[in-house]
Amino acid sequence: MPQASRVNPSVIDTLHAAGERPAVVYRYAGDRFLLLEYGEMVLDLTMNFRIFGLNEAIKRADIDGVIETVPALRSMLIQYDSLRLPTRELVETLKKLEDVIPAVDNLSIPSRRLELPMAFADQWTRSDIERYVKYTRQDAPNVINGHNIEYIASYNGLKDAEEVVQYLCATEWWNACIGFWPGLPFMFPLDPRYAIVTPKYNPTRPWTPEGAVGIGGPCVAIYPVASPGGYQLFGRTIPIFDLQQRNPAFKANPILLKPADRIQWVRVTDDELEAIRARVYDGTYRYKVVEYEALNVKAYRRFLDSVKDAVAAFQRRQAEAVKHIPIP
Amino acid sequence: MFEVLEGGIQTTVQDFPGRVGYLALGTYPAGPMDHFAFRVANLLVGNSQGTAALEVTVGGLKARFHDRRVLAVTGADMHATLNGRPLRLWESVGVEPGDQLEMKTVKATGFRAYVAVSGAFDVPDYMGSRATFTVGGFGGFEGRGLKKGDRVPLGRGDGIDRLIGRRLRPSLRPPYASHWEIEAMRGPQADPDYLTPADMEFFFSHAWKVDRNSNRMGVRLESHKWQWARTSGGIAGGHPSNILDNGYAVWTVNVCGDQPIILVADGPSLGGFICNATLVYASTWKVGQLVPGRDTITFKEVTIEEATQRARDLDATISERSIDRG
Repeated sequence: MPQASRVNPSVIDTLHAAGERPAVVYRYAGDRFLLLEYGEMVLDLTMNFRIFGLNEAIKRADIDGVIETVPALRSMLIQYDSLRLPTRELVETLKKLEDVIPAVDNLSIPSRRLELPMAFADQWTRSDIERYVKYTRQDAPNVINGHNIEYIASYNGLKDAEEVVQYLCATEWWNACIGFWPGLPFMFPLDPRYAIVTPKYNPTRPWTPEGAVGIGGPCVAIYPVASPGGYQLFGRTIPIFDLQQRNPAFKANPILLKPADRIQWVRVTDDELEAIRARVYDGTYRYKVVEYEALNVKAYRRFLDSVKDAVAAFQRRQAEAVKHIPIP
Repeated sequence: MFEVLEGGIQTTVQDFPGRVGYLALGTYPAGPMDHFAFRVANLLVGNSQGTAALEVTVGGLKARFHDRRVLAVTGADMHATLNGRPLRLWESVGVEPGDQLEMKTVKATGFRAYVAVSGAFDVPDYMGSRATFTVGGFGGFEGRGLKKGDRVPLGRGDGIDRLIGRRLRPSLRPPYASHWEIEAMRGPQADPDYLTPADMEFFFSHAWKVDRNSNRMGVRLESHKWQWARTSGGIAGGHPSNILDNGYAVWTVNVCGDQPIILVADGPSLGGFICNATLVYASTWKVGQLVPGRDTITFKEVTIEEATQRARDLDATISERSIDRG
């Protein structure tokens, strides 16, 4: 773990791991921001849960001078007014909060559950993938039969596109953080038995339809607007960003999703998706959102333990499949 | 009402400190690239410092006033004229209905000018701010830069006569040059964890050239062959500049592969590349005046104590005490 000292002037302070609590590093990010990191640089959702536990604790503490918090996978960026709240004082307050945050096992994270309709391997993403093959890379190995979904299947040792759909719908997707573009979620599967992975596009794709959904590495993202992109696409959903706020779901601001939301895909046809999208924009569609259904981490970890063997089996299947699949 | 005759290269409505509080929803704050010149312009016309005003990039703005107001232009010299007569920068003047403001393009140094009018450019509040966020296409005037034919409403301007002829004391006007020293703090991801001490020594001593491909999202610097303290980014990616995605501080230096990019007003809020240094609040304004493709920067390392002292000094400078009447 990095030590705060003359030889590491980026680090303000550290806490060693103790019992359930991971090591904590507090880093300077200029004179208005501080970056806090938990544990090692590994993908571990329990670190993300602790970040949300800390986020709740910071909100409750209502620290004078803290302006906003930006939770991410294992880190939290904090904007603060260093003229009102000296850095040293902020760090001491944050260190004390580490003692009051419940152990991860006792965390209950306020989390909304959203059901979003999804047309898999739909005509809109298909059209932009075809343009990519035509104008950007004709021999793209990640495009099979005009789409990415069969490539996702073969890269993960799954039978076909249908099995990819089953996997994607078999788990809720945890929104660990939002960023890069307004409203863009970074989501991970809560059930690791269905944790598919893929490499990214090479070169990136100049076009992606708004509402497209794709996967890069272990992370699933929804594109809030039409834009370039690098993720392997598997379908299209309804708008998650609407500047004109045409639906009650966008009443407070044009961004639908929040950190710590859980997403469940509900399979629909292209025609059904088109009809729902029209109702989103005429204001009659009601987004299916369940508020305040907390995520109980202890129960979740018991669940993780119960599926260990199945997870390992899938990982072996993936490792075998990757040997025979070209990387873009 | 402010009638736009020519919008210029990029003229946007901004406010200060911009749209604060939405980083966790993926939205950078927008706001002026040079908050010093922006705030002073408002101070000169009697507005509060954060009031919505115009940011004129490179130049080319031409507009007609339809009301009696006080006007101040600050920042880069674009040879602004009012009815054809040269307008002095950093000073307030009165305007009458029919008066025409014209700005040519930047000549010697500096890149952005600010136009404040008593009573504000009265655009709607969107998510708590009137700043234009060019990436998302929201805020400001219809979420975009001004163009010919736009008619921007102005707020009420009271006490006009006593606000004319105010100027920022000449000794306090920032010198613009083609080489800049910009104060920054090391981190969050620097040496020895991510880069080598030699890499950081180079970073804080080299005269970095500003890439022509720079804008309100990012100010790109030249690529450099870093030594790196790691051979790869591990789970986060093959390149040692890769990290698991984290929030990006506004005005941080993001090292994307080999290329450092200063993330500015409309930048990305989160991503998976290291940030080896972060500009301090009192010095970010200099970035707004960098001429892409020409200017150079040397980053000067400061401590948190120096940074907060500079912040206090800057805020104290932007106050009534710094105004005289020529």
